[in-house]
Amino acid sequence: MSGEDGKSPAYGAADEPQRAELEALLARCAARDAAALETLYARVAPILLAVLMRMLKRRDLAEDVLQDVFVKVWQQASQFDPHRGRPLAWLVSMARYRAIDLQRAARPAVAITDMSLALEPQLQVGGPADSAELLGTGGLLLRCLEQIAAPQRHCLVLAYQEGLTHSEIARAVGEPLGTVKSWVRRSLLALRRCLGS
Amino acid sequence: MNYENPELLDRLAAEHVLGTLRGPARRRFERLCTRSPAARVARDRWEDDWLMLSRTLRPVQPSARVWTNVSAQLFGTRAGAPRGSRWRTWQLATAASLIAVALIVGVIYREQPAPLQTLAVLGRDAAHPLWRIERGKQLAALTIRVVGPIEAVPGKSYELWALPRGAAPVSLGLLPAGGQYQRTLSEAQRAALGAADKVAVSIEPPGGSPTGAPTGPVIIVATLPALG
Repeated sequence: MSGEDGKSPAYGAADEPQRAELEALLARCAARDAAALETLYARVAPILLAVLMRMLKRRDLAEDVLQDVFVKVWQQASQFDPHRGRPLAWLVSMARYRAIDLQRAARPAVAITDMSLALEPQLQVGGPADSAELLGTGGLLLRCLEQIAAPQRHCLVLAYQEGLTHSEIARAVGEPLGTVKSWVRRSLLALRRCLGS
Repeated sequence: MNYENPELLDRLAAEHVLGTLRGPARRRFERLCTRSPAARVARDRWEDDWLMLSRTLRPVQPSARVWTNVSAQLFGTRAGAPRGSRWRTWQLATAASLIAVALIVGVIYREQPAPLQTLAVLGRDAAHPLWRIERGKQLAALTIRVVGPIEAVPGKSYELWALPRGAAPVSLGLLPAGGQYQRTLSEAQRAALGAADKVAVSIEPPGGSPTGAPTGPVIIVATLPALG
Protein backbone atom coordinates (compact mmCIF):
# COMPACT_ATOMS: atom_id res chain seq x y z
CA MET A 1 0.00 0.00 0.00
CA SER A 2 1.90 3.05 1.09
CA GLY A 3 5.34 3.76 2.32
CA GLU A 4 6.12 0.88 4.72
CA ASP A 5 9.48 0.48 3.04
CA GLY A 6 10.38 4.08 3.68
CA LYS A 7 10.07 5.05 0.04
CA SER A 8 7.69 7.74 -1.00
CA PRO A 9 4.11 6.60 -0.61
CA ALA A 10 2.22 5.34 -3.58
CA TYR A 11 -0.64 7.66 -4.33
CA GLY A 12 -2.52 6.20 -7.22
CA ALA A 13 -5.62 4.15 -7.75
CA ALA A 14 -4.70 1.77 -4.94
CA ASP A 15 -5.02 4.60 -2.44
CA GLU A 16 -8.14 6.10 -3.87
CA PRO A 17 -10.98 5.66 -1.43
CA GLN A 18 -13.49 3.22 -2.83
CA ARG A 19 -16.35 4.84 -4.62
CA ALA A 20 -18.94 2.69 -2.84
CA GLU A 21 -17.49 3.62 0.54
CA LEU A 22 -17.57 7.34 -0.21
CA GLU A 23 -21.13 7.08 -1.50
CA ALA A 24 -22.21 5.31 1.67
CA LEU A 25 -20.47 7.92 3.82
CA LEU A 26 -22.16 10.77 1.96
CA ALA A 27 -25.53 9.05 2.37
CA ARG A 28 -24.90 8.78 6.10
CA CYS A 29 -23.90 12.45 6.23
CA ALA A 30 -27.18 13.30 4.51
CA ALA A 31 -28.89 11.33 7.30
CA ARG A 32 -27.08 13.56 9.83
CA ASP A 33 -24.58 10.97 11.03
CA ALA A 34 -21.69 13.03 12.36
CA ALA A 35 -19.38 10.02 12.64
CA ALA A 36 -19.69 9.54 8.88
CA LEU A 37 -18.41 13.06 8.26
CA GLU A 38 -15.36 12.36 10.39
CA THR A 39 -14.61 9.16 8.48
CA LEU A 40 -15.14 10.94 5.18
CA TYR A 41 -12.77 13.65 6.34
CA ALA A 42 -10.10 11.11 7.21
CA ARG A 43 -10.45 9.53 3.76
CA VAL A 44 -10.51 12.54 1.50
CA ALA A 45 -9.27 15.65 3.34
CA PRO A 46 -5.60 14.93 2.43
CA ILE A 47 -6.56 14.58 -1.23
CA LEU A 48 -8.52 17.83 -1.19
CA LEU A 49 -5.79 19.68 0.69
CA ALA A 50 -3.25 18.70 -1.96
CA VAL A 51 -5.55 20.12 -4.63
CA LEU A 52 -6.16 23.32 -2.66
CA MET A 53 -2.51 23.94 -1.82
CA ARG A 54 -1.65 23.57 -5.47
CA MET A 55 -4.20 26.22 -6.39
CA LEU A 56 -3.79 28.65 -3.50
CA LYS A 57 -0.05 28.25 -2.82
CA ARG A 58 -0.56 28.91 0.87
CA ARG A 59 -1.26 26.24 3.41
CA ASP A 60 -3.23 28.51 5.75
CA LEU A 61 -5.58 29.63 2.99
CA ALA A 62 -5.89 26.09 1.68
CA GLU A 63 -6.79 24.79 5.14
CA ASP A 64 -9.37 27.52 5.62
CA VAL A 65 -11.00 26.49 2.36
CA LEU A 66 -10.80 22.83 3.36
CA GLN A 67 -12.62 23.66 6.58
CA ASP A 68 -15.26 25.48 4.63
CA VAL A 69 -15.66 22.64 2.17
CA PHE A 70 -16.36 20.13 4.90
CA VAL A 71 -18.97 22.37 6.47
CA LYS A 72 -20.54 22.55 3.04
CA VAL A 73 -20.28 18.80 2.51
CA TRP A 74 -22.26 18.29 5.68
CA GLN A 75 -24.88 20.78 4.59
CA GLN A 76 -25.15 19.56 1.02
CA ALA A 77 -24.54 15.83 1.33
CA SER A 78 -28.17 15.15 0.46
CA GLN A 79 -27.64 16.86 -2.89
CA PHE A 80 -25.00 14.40 -4.01
CA ASP A 81 -26.46 12.10 -6.65
CA PRO A 82 -24.41 8.94 -7.21
CA HIS A 83 -26.00 8.53 -10.63
CA ARG A 84 -24.48 11.76 -11.82
CA GLY A 85 -20.84 11.23 -11.01
CA ARG A 86 -18.17 9.91 -8.72
CA PRO A 87 -18.24 11.11 -5.12
CA LEU A 88 -14.57 12.05 -5.17
CA ALA A 89 -15.12 14.16 -8.29
CA TRP A 90 -17.99 15.92 -6.52
CA LEU A 91 -15.81 16.61 -3.47
CA VAL A 92 -12.74 17.72 -5.42
CA SER A 93 -14.89 20.00 -7.56
CA MET A 94 -16.47 21.57 -4.50
CA ALA A 95 -12.98 22.35 -3.21
CA ARG A 96 -11.68 23.64 -6.55
CA TYR A 97 -14.67 25.93 -7.15
CA ARG A 98 -14.35 27.35 -3.68
CA ALA A 99 -10.67 28.04 -4.30
CA ILE A 100 -11.52 29.71 -7.61
CA ASP A 101 -14.07 31.95 -5.91
CA LEU A 102 -11.53 32.81 -3.24
CA GLN A 103 -8.86 33.66 -5.81
CA ARG A 104 -11.29 36.17 -7.23
CA ALA A 105 -11.37 37.98 -3.90
CA ALA A 106 -7.82 37.65 -2.65
CA ARG A 107 -5.32 36.35 -5.13
CA PRO A 108 -2.01 35.78 -3.40
CA ALA A 109 1.12 36.89 -5.19
CA VAL A 110 2.38 33.87 -7.07
CA ALA A 111 5.64 33.21 -8.80
CA ILE A 112 4.18 31.64 -11.89
CA THR A 113 7.49 30.71 -13.43
CA ASP A 114 8.50 28.66 -10.40
CA MET A 115 5.42 26.59 -10.34
CA SER A 116 5.28 25.78 -14.04
CA LEU A 117 8.54 23.90 -13.82
CA ALA A 118 7.22 21.01 -11.81
CA LEU A 119 4.28 20.28 -14.04
CA GLU A 120 5.40 18.30 -16.99
CA PRO A 121 6.81 15.28 -15.14
CA GLN A 122 3.38 14.63 -13.69
CA LEU A 123 2.10 13.79 -17.10
CA GLN A 124 4.69 11.13 -17.64
CA VAL A 125 2.52 8.11 -17.18
CA GLY A 126 3.88 4.63 -17.18
CA GLY A 127 5.31 1.86 -15.08
CA PRO A 128 3.57 -0.89 -13.18
CA ALA A 129 2.18 1.47 -10.53
CA ASP A 130 0.15 3.26 -13.15
CA SER A 131 -1.06 0.37 -15.21
CA ALA A 132 -4.21 -0.18 -13.19
CA GLU A 133 -5.21 3.43 -13.65
CA LEU A 134 -4.53 3.33 -17.33
CA LEU A 135 -7.39 0.91 -17.67
CA GLY A 136 -9.86 3.25 -15.99
CA THR A 137 -11.22 6.61 -17.07
CA GLY A 138 -8.49 8.35 -15.10
CA GLY A 139 -5.84 6.76 -17.26
CA LEU A 140 -7.84 7.69 -20.30
CA LEU A 141 -7.63 11.35 -19.34
CA LEU A 142 -3.85 11.22 -19.08
CA ARG A 143 -3.53 9.35 -22.35
CA CYS A 144 -5.76 11.89 -24.07
CA LEU A 145 -3.78 14.77 -22.57
CA GLU A 146 -0.62 13.27 -23.94
CA GLN A 147 -2.08 13.43 -27.43
CA ILE A 148 -2.34 17.19 -27.14
CA ALA A 149 0.75 19.19 -28.15
CA ALA A 150 2.87 20.11 -25.13
CA PRO A 151 2.33 23.91 -25.12
CA GLN A 152 -1.44 23.55 -25.35
CA ARG A 153 -1.49 20.78 -22.77
CA HIS A 154 0.56 22.94 -20.47
CA CYS A 155 -2.15 25.62 -20.65
CA LEU A 156 -4.83 23.11 -19.64
CA VAL A 157 -2.80 21.88 -16.69
CA LEU A 158 -2.05 25.44 -15.54
CA ALA A 159 -5.77 26.15 -15.61
CA TYR A 160 -6.97 22.97 -13.93
CA GLN A 161 -4.26 22.31 -11.39
CA GLU A 162 -2.96 25.79 -10.62
CA GLY A 163 -6.28 27.56 -11.06
CA LEU A 164 -4.89 30.16 -13.45
CA THR A 165 -7.11 32.42 -15.55
CA HIS A 166 -6.63 32.85 -19.30
CA SER A 167 -4.63 36.04 -18.71
CA GLU A 168 -2.42 34.44 -16.08
CA ILE A 169 -1.74 31.50 -18.36
CA ALA A 170 -0.85 33.90 -21.18
CA ARG A 171 1.69 35.61 -18.93
CA ALA A 172 3.05 32.29 -17.69
CA VAL A 173 3.63 30.83 -21.15
CA GLY A 174 4.48 34.10 -22.89
CA GLU A 175 1.79 33.87 -25.56
CA PRO A 176 -0.89 36.43 -26.49
CA LEU A 177 -4.18 36.13 -24.62
CA GLY A 178 -6.11 35.38 -27.81
CA THR A 179 -3.77 32.52 -28.65
CA VAL A 180 -4.15 31.00 -25.21
CA LYS A 181 -7.94 31.29 -25.34
CA SER A 182 -8.14 29.52 -28.67
CA TRP A 183 -5.60 26.87 -27.59
CA VAL A 184 -7.71 26.11 -24.54
CA ARG A 185 -10.92 25.99 -26.53
CA ARG A 186 -9.49 23.74 -29.24
CA SER A 187 -7.68 21.48 -26.75
CA LEU A 188 -10.90 20.95 -24.84
CA LEU A 189 -12.64 19.95 -28.06
CA ALA A 190 -9.86 17.52 -28.85
CA LEU A 191 -10.04 16.18 -25.32
CA ARG A 192 -13.78 15.62 -25.57
CA ARG A 193 -13.31 13.75 -28.87
CA CYS A 194 -10.61 11.58 -27.31
CA LEU A 195 -12.54 10.92 -24.10
CA GLY A 196 -15.62 10.03 -26.11
CA SER A 197 -18.85 12.00 -26.27
CA MET B 1 -26.72 32.77 -25.61
CA ASN B 2 -28.51 29.71 -26.81
CA TYR B 3 -28.03 27.22 -24.01
CA GLU B 4 -29.98 24.58 -25.93
CA ASN B 5 -27.03 24.08 -28.26
CA PRO B 6 -25.30 20.95 -26.88
CA GLU B 7 -21.89 21.93 -28.22
CA LEU B 8 -22.02 25.36 -26.65
CA LEU B 9 -23.25 23.83 -23.41
CA ASP B 10 -20.40 21.34 -23.38
CA ARG B 11 -17.87 24.09 -24.09
CA LEU B 12 -19.16 26.21 -21.22
CA ALA B 13 -19.18 23.17 -18.92
CA ALA B 14 -15.63 22.31 -19.96
CA GLU B 15 -14.33 25.82 -19.24
CA HIS B 16 -16.29 26.00 -16.00
CA VAL B 17 -14.73 22.79 -14.72
CA LEU B 18 -11.30 23.72 -16.05
CA GLY B 19 -11.66 27.03 -14.21
CA THR B 20 -11.14 29.39 -17.14
CA LEU B 21 -14.78 30.47 -17.14
CA ARG B 22 -14.70 33.40 -14.74
CA GLY B 23 -16.63 36.39 -13.52
CA PRO B 24 -20.25 36.89 -14.54
CA ALA B 25 -20.02 34.10 -17.14
CA ARG B 26 -19.09 31.65 -14.37
CA ARG B 27 -22.01 32.80 -12.23
CA ARG B 28 -24.36 32.51 -15.20
CA PHE B 29 -23.30 28.94 -15.85
CA GLU B 30 -23.70 28.06 -12.17
CA ARG B 31 -27.23 29.44 -12.24
CA LEU B 32 -27.91 27.55 -15.46
CA CYS B 33 -26.88 24.33 -13.72
CA THR B 34 -29.54 24.83 -11.07
CA ARG B 35 -32.28 24.72 -13.70
CA SER B 36 -30.85 22.78 -16.65
CA PRO B 37 -30.30 19.03 -16.26
CA ALA B 38 -28.35 19.05 -19.54
CA ALA B 39 -25.92 21.62 -18.13
CA ARG B 40 -25.48 19.56 -14.96
CA VAL B 41 -24.84 16.40 -16.95
CA ALA B 42 -22.19 18.17 -19.05
CA ARG B 43 -20.54 19.66 -15.96
CA ASP B 44 -20.59 16.43 -13.94
CA ARG B 45 -19.06 14.55 -16.84
CA TRP B 46 -16.12 16.94 -17.13
CA GLU B 47 -15.63 16.84 -13.37
CA ASP B 48 -15.37 13.07 -13.56
CA ASP B 49 -13.10 13.21 -16.59
CA TRP B 50 -10.63 15.60 -14.96
CA LEU B 51 -10.51 13.89 -11.57
CA MET B 52 -7.40 11.90 -12.43
CA LEU B 53 -5.31 15.04 -12.74
CA SER B 54 -6.11 15.91 -9.13
CA ARG B 55 -5.19 12.39 -8.15
CA THR B 56 -1.66 12.80 -9.49
CA LEU B 57 -0.95 15.12 -6.54
CA ARG B 58 0.54 13.67 -3.39
CA PRO B 59 -2.02 13.90 -0.55
CA VAL B 60 -1.20 16.35 2.24
CA GLN B 61 -2.27 15.70 5.83
CA PRO B 62 -4.20 18.71 7.18
CA SER B 63 -3.34 20.31 10.53
CA ALA B 64 -5.42 19.11 13.45
CA ARG B 65 -7.09 22.50 13.76
CA VAL B 66 -9.04 21.99 10.52
CA TRP B 67 -11.14 19.10 11.80
CA THR B 68 -11.43 20.74 15.23
CA ASN B 69 -12.90 23.81 13.55
CA VAL B 70 -15.22 21.85 11.27
CA SER B 71 -16.50 19.93 14.24
CA ALA B 72 -16.87 23.09 16.30
CA GLN B 73 -18.77 24.88 13.57
CA LEU B 74 -21.15 22.06 12.82
CA PHE B 75 -21.60 20.32 16.10
CA GLY B 76 -21.56 23.19 18.50
CA THR B 77 -18.42 23.28 20.60
CA ARG B 78 -16.49 26.53 20.42
CA ALA B 79 -13.00 25.09 20.64
CA GLY B 80 -11.82 26.10 17.18
CA ALA B 81 -8.66 28.03 16.53
CA PRO B 82 -9.13 31.43 14.92
CA ARG B 83 -8.93 31.62 11.19
CA GLY B 84 -6.67 33.92 9.21
CA SER B 85 -7.65 37.57 9.09
CA ARG B 86 -7.44 37.55 5.32
CA TRP B 87 -10.06 34.83 5.28
CA ARG B 88 -12.27 36.77 7.65
CA THR B 89 -12.07 39.78 5.36
CA TRP B 90 -13.14 37.60 2.51
CA GLN B 91 -16.02 36.15 4.47
CA LEU B 92 -17.26 39.58 5.40
CA ALA B 93 -16.95 40.76 1.82
CA THR B 94 -18.97 37.79 0.71
CA ALA B 95 -21.58 38.39 3.37
CA ALA B 96 -21.85 42.00 2.27
CA SER B 97 -22.43 41.00 -1.32
CA LEU B 98 -25.33 38.69 -0.57
CA ILE B 99 -28.11 38.79 -3.02
CA ALA B 100 -31.15 40.49 -1.60
CA VAL B 101 -33.67 37.89 -0.68
CA ALA B 102 -37.36 38.61 -0.65
CA LEU B 103 -38.84 38.84 2.79
CA ILE B 104 -40.49 35.61 3.72
CA VAL B 105 -43.15 35.41 6.34
CA GLY B 106 -42.97 32.76 9.00
CA VAL B 107 -45.99 30.81 10.04
CA ILE B 108 -46.74 29.25 13.38
CA TYR B 109 -48.65 26.12 14.04
CA ARG B 110 -49.80 25.22 17.48
CA GLU B 111 -50.15 21.54 18.06
CA GLN B 112 -51.17 19.37 20.94
CA PRO B 113 -48.33 18.47 23.29
CA ALA B 114 -47.02 15.11 22.22
CA PRO B 115 -43.60 13.54 22.74
CA LEU B 116 -42.37 16.56 20.82
CA GLN B 117 -44.17 19.85 20.56
CA THR B 118 -43.95 21.92 17.43
CA LEU B 119 -42.39 25.23 18.30
CA ALA B 120 -42.52 26.74 14.86
CA VAL B 121 -42.90 25.86 11.24
CA LEU B 122 -40.73 28.12 9.18
CA GLY B 123 -41.44 28.79 5.55
CA ARG B 124 -42.53 31.21 2.92
CA ASP B 125 -46.17 30.72 3.84
CA ALA B 126 -48.44 28.06 5.24
CA ALA B 127 -48.44 26.17 1.96
CA HIS B 128 -44.64 26.10 1.67
CA PRO B 129 -43.11 24.99 4.96
CA LEU B 130 -39.32 24.49 4.97
CA TRP B 131 -38.29 23.61 8.52
CA ARG B 132 -40.28 22.29 11.44
CA ILE B 133 -38.74 23.13 14.80
CA GLU B 134 -39.81 20.86 17.63
CA ARG B 135 -39.00 20.84 21.31
CA GLY B 136 -39.24 18.36 24.11
CA LYS B 137 -41.04 19.16 27.34
CA GLN B 138 -37.88 20.33 29.09
CA LEU B 139 -36.67 22.60 26.27
CA ALA B 140 -33.32 20.81 26.52
CA ALA B 141 -33.01 20.21 22.81
CA LEU B 142 -34.57 21.19 19.52
CA THR B 143 -35.38 18.79 16.75
CA ILE B 144 -35.19 20.41 13.36
CA ARG B 145 -36.79 18.64 10.43
CA VAL B 146 -36.53 19.72 6.85
CA VAL B 147 -40.07 19.52 5.54
CA GLY B 148 -39.78 21.35 2.22
CA PRO B 149 -37.30 21.93 -0.59
CA ILE B 150 -34.47 24.11 0.76
CA GLU B 151 -33.01 26.33 -1.91
CA ALA B 152 -29.25 25.98 -1.66
CA VAL B 153 -27.60 29.39 -1.68
CA PRO B 154 -24.06 28.63 -2.86
CA GLY B 155 -21.56 29.26 -0.10
CA LYS B 156 -24.16 30.29 2.45
CA SER B 157 -25.78 28.78 5.51
CA TYR B 158 -29.17 29.34 7.07
CA GLU B 159 -28.87 30.23 10.75
CA LEU B 160 -31.66 30.14 13.33
CA TRP B 161 -31.90 32.85 15.99
CA ALA B 162 -33.89 33.30 19.16
CA LEU B 163 -35.04 36.91 19.53
CA PRO B 164 -35.44 37.45 23.28
CA ARG B 165 -37.54 40.45 24.20
CA GLY B 166 -35.32 43.46 24.83
CA ALA B 167 -32.06 41.59 24.22
CA ALA B 168 -29.73 40.75 21.36
CA PRO B 169 -30.45 37.74 19.13
CA VAL B 170 -28.91 34.48 20.26
CA SER B 171 -27.89 31.87 17.72
CA LEU B 172 -29.63 28.53 17.91
CA GLY B 173 -27.29 27.09 15.32
CA LEU B 174 -27.42 26.36 11.63
CA LEU B 175 -30.45 24.94 9.88
CA PRO B 176 -29.82 21.74 7.93
CA ALA B 177 -30.48 21.54 4.20
CA GLY B 178 -31.93 18.06 4.45
CA GLY B 179 -33.03 15.39 6.85
CA GLN B 180 -33.53 15.78 10.55
CA TYR B 181 -31.18 17.14 13.13
CA GLN B 182 -31.29 17.30 16.88
CA ARG B 183 -29.50 20.09 18.70
CA THR B 184 -28.90 20.17 22.42
CA LEU B 185 -29.41 23.68 23.75
CA SER B 186 -26.87 25.36 25.96
CA GLU B 187 -28.00 27.13 29.12
CA ALA B 188 -27.70 30.48 27.33
CA GLN B 189 -29.69 29.26 24.37
CA ARG B 190 -32.39 27.85 26.62
CA ALA B 191 -32.63 31.12 28.50
CA ALA B 192 -32.78 33.13 25.29
CA LEU B 193 -35.43 30.92 23.78
CA GLY B 194 -37.42 30.99 27.01
CA ALA B 195 -37.41 34.79 26.88
CA ALA B 196 -38.06 34.98 23.16
CA ASP B 197 -41.33 35.77 21.49
CA LYS B 198 -39.90 35.34 18.01
CA VAL B 199 -37.35 33.30 16.11
CA ALA B 200 -35.64 34.38 12.90
CA VAL B 201 -33.64 32.82 10.09
CA SER B 202 -30.79 34.70 8.45
CA ILE B 203 -28.43 33.84 5.61
CA GLU B 204 -24.84 33.65 6.79
CA PRO B 205 -21.41 32.59 5.56
CA PRO B 206 -20.73 28.85 5.70
CA GLY B 207 -20.50 27.73 9.29
CA GLY B 208 -22.66 30.55 10.52
CA SER B 209 -22.31 34.19 11.46
CA PRO B 210 -18.68 35.11 12.11
CA THR B 211 -19.68 37.75 14.67
CA GLY B 212 -22.23 35.96 16.81
CA ALA B 213 -24.94 38.32 15.59
CA PRO B 214 -26.90 38.07 12.34
CA THR B 215 -24.83 39.54 9.49
CA GLY B 216 -26.84 38.50 6.44
CA PRO B 217 -30.40 39.17 5.33
CA VAL B 218 -33.12 37.94 7.66
CA ILE B 219 -35.45 35.88 5.53
CA ILE B 220 -37.92 34.56 8.08
CA VAL B 221 -39.31 35.98 11.31
CA ALA B 222 -41.84 33.86 13.15
CA THR B 223 -43.75 34.52 16.36
CA LEU B 224 -43.55 31.78 18.95
CA PRO B 225 -46.41 30.46 20.98
CA ALA B 226 -46.08 31.15 24.71
CA LEU B 227 -43.50 28.70 25.97
CA GLY B 228 -44.40 26.46 28.82
